[in-house]
Amino acid sequence: MANPAYDRLLVFSPVMVATWLAFIYAWPRLILTVYRRAILGRGLGEGPVPLNTLYLPPQEFFADPLSLPASAPAVATTGVNRDTLYTLGWLDLRGGPQMLHVPDMAGRYYSVQLTDPRNNTNFAYVGKRATGTAAGDYLISGPGWKGAVPAGMARISAPTHSVLIIGRVLVESDGDLPTAHALAKRIQLLPWKQAREAPPTRNGAGS
Amino acid sequence: MTARTVALLPLPIGAVCLYVIIRMVFSAHTLTGHTLPVRTEVLQGVLVGFGLSFVTSQILARIKSTRVNGWTTIFGCGVPGNGMFMQAACAQMFPGPVNVPQEALYWTAHVDGRGRALSGGHDYVMHFPTGGLPPNDAFWSLTMGTARNRFVANPIHRYSVSDRSGLVPNADGSVDIYIQNTAPAGHESNWLPAPEGAFILWLRVYVPGAEMLSGRYKVPPVVEMR
Repeated sequence: MANPAYDRLLVFSPVMVATWLAFIYAWPRLILTVYRRAILGRGLGEGPVPLNTLYLPPQEFFADPLSLPASAPAVATTGVNRDTLYTLGWLDLRGGPQMLHVPDMAGRYYSVQLTDPRNNTNFAYVGKRATGTAAGDYLISGPGWKGAVPAGMARISAPTHSVLIIGRVLVESDGDLPTAHALAKRIQLLPWKQAREAPPTRNGAGS
Repeated sequence: MTARTVALLPLPIGAVCLYVIIRMVFSAHTLTGHTLPVRTEVLQGVLVGFGLSFVTSQILARIKSTRVNGWTTIFGCGVPGNGMFMQAACAQMFPGPVNVPQEALYWTAHVDGRGRALSGGHDYVMHFPTGGLPPNDAFWSLTMGTARNRFVANPIHRYSVSDRSGLVPNADGSVDIYIQNTAPAGHESNWLPAPEGAFILWLRVYVPGAEMLSGRYKVPPVVEMR
């Protein structure tokens, strides 16, 4: 005669183990979903950040960190950081590659981190450590993209169409903030088609 | 299977055993009668599984983290191919996008070198011996946060000290950082203002040197002054 308790265990145990492993696996991914919604939905203090654009908070946010607007979501305010300016964006590469332009940082520390949101790992860096501080243009392409990369431009192949991009620019001192902010503002994204029409020699166009 | 994986095995086994024992006790009077619908079993499985995953992530964060003198970090976050258990541990400790160790290491401390919770009710010193500042090829900083990880208002508007903040070394070249609520007389340049209550510290090291990446460099403890 079957014991009902064992019958129940046959249902309970696989469900329990599956849920157990599924949540361990899913949690790091869910966290980046929160970031995605914050960036594209509420924005970081000044309204939503459109796809394929970089948002750099105004330098006043950095100059007086206690004055952050109440509208800024937790993503923008958590973490106490007095070292670098942040510029953030979310890429959608389904419509084609994006071109990342970085200005000449003249030896200053900066980095642009490209994160695969499916597992919160960084598949590429542009920056002082990874590529140096000279001005440069990088073609960020999604999986399966086939096309010619112009001479002088490096290609970064993203493993996914959806990419989190975070730029950091070191602020040396209070007096250095305007310089650092101006440099951070010149870290820009441009759609590849548009980039082909307007050669990547522009300086600080747009915002 | 690594020793650490084996160390985690008792968790699911224990949970199953616990469940069997509980059900044996509670279902003694129903064994001959009705059985609960399958839906209930599924729901219970999901709830217990969810709870276990939460506990497991906490344990993973402890296993994967490196602790030195009250400071904690994880080596290996953000690195492609680091595996779901490392990712779970990193998500616990740094809930958000995080740099690879080669780009930046973040150390955090909630306790002093003796394991006691940091509080503005005490005065602390962090002593870097001569030549013992955090090895790096970019910059380092020590930043103050409240228990909720917010900036601490203070009269000199200083929220961190760093390689750029004009720290004054001692005569022998060592560096003392004074972490306290009120200004340390004669050492204002090396003062990191603390709140009145509980606080946490962040030691950021960008492009850490080989000494730090290998673990040979030990972050000095935050020491309570007597």
